Amino acid sequence: MMQLDVFQVIADPMRRQILASLQQGELQVNDVVKVLEIHQSGVSRHLRILLESGFVQMRADGQRRLYSLRAQPFQDLDTWLSAFRELWEARLDRFERALQQKQQAKKKNPKKTELS
Amino acid sequence: MTTTSKSPVVFDRTYDAPIEDVWELWTTKDGFESWWGPEGFRVEVHEINPTVGGTLFYDMIACGAVQVAHMKAANMPLSHETRGTFTLVEPLKRLAIRHLIDFIPGIDAYENFMRVEFSQSAKGTRMLLSIDAHSTEEWTKAATQGMTSQLTKLPAALEARRK
Repeated sequence: MMQLDVFQVIADPMRRQILASLQQGELQVNDVVKVLEIHQSGVSRHLRILLESGFVQMRADGQRRLYSLRAQPFQDLDTWLSAFRELWEARLDRFERALQQKQQAKKKNPKKTELS
Repeated sequence: MTTTSKSPVVFDRTYDAPIEDVWELWTTKDGFESWWGPEGFRVEVHEINPTVGGTLFYDMIACGAVQVAHMKAANMPLSHETRGTFTLVEPLKRLAIRHLIDFIPGIDAYENFMRVEFSQSAKGTRMLLSIDAHSTEEWTKAATQGMTSQLTKLPAALEARRK
């Protein structure tokens, strides 16, 4: 199976709902099915994807299989988005400086700017 | 690769400038060259045609010492051609640009989308920029190799990949 990247994993609304439901703690597949009112096969399939992509972990407790969230991918996502944001904020600061220079140039030499 | 997910990151800025000036920074050669590109990079625009389907074609050139060193270390040329297309153009109101990212060694080409909305506000011109933060093949690779922290240390490289 093709490995999904983090954004593809969370792009699916059903998977986001499953992740949200796991915020309350460990759940079995049946618990998730009850909360979300979707068919078990769908929940199992999405849980498998979440498991493979590291968003979710599973532990066996006797007959029960309990699923819970893993922090790592959320932290990775947060790190990446923060870096991405910072870079763009800096770029938009440069946008602002470029605008200011443009206006100063206009004031100094209105005719030339009008022609350009 | 096919881009199926959309994870836009949104920036909301208001500039104390007329909307025409803000628009020109996106749609003219001089304007675009005056700010585009990550820190330590400059651009030289070959073609900028702000009509629907119009071309945006420029060289992205590393000029900062750190960035030059990084590009060399990553075995990437200091200058690379970058191509985009204007996919939406409503003068002084909104525009959208699709960039083709095909210059990262070892990464299949992918597309990156951004959309900008302009409006007049009491304080000047409001610019709402949303960027599709998907296109993370390289990020995924790095993350699986446990190199996530490296990415934050190399913001210039990261940013170059955004383009």
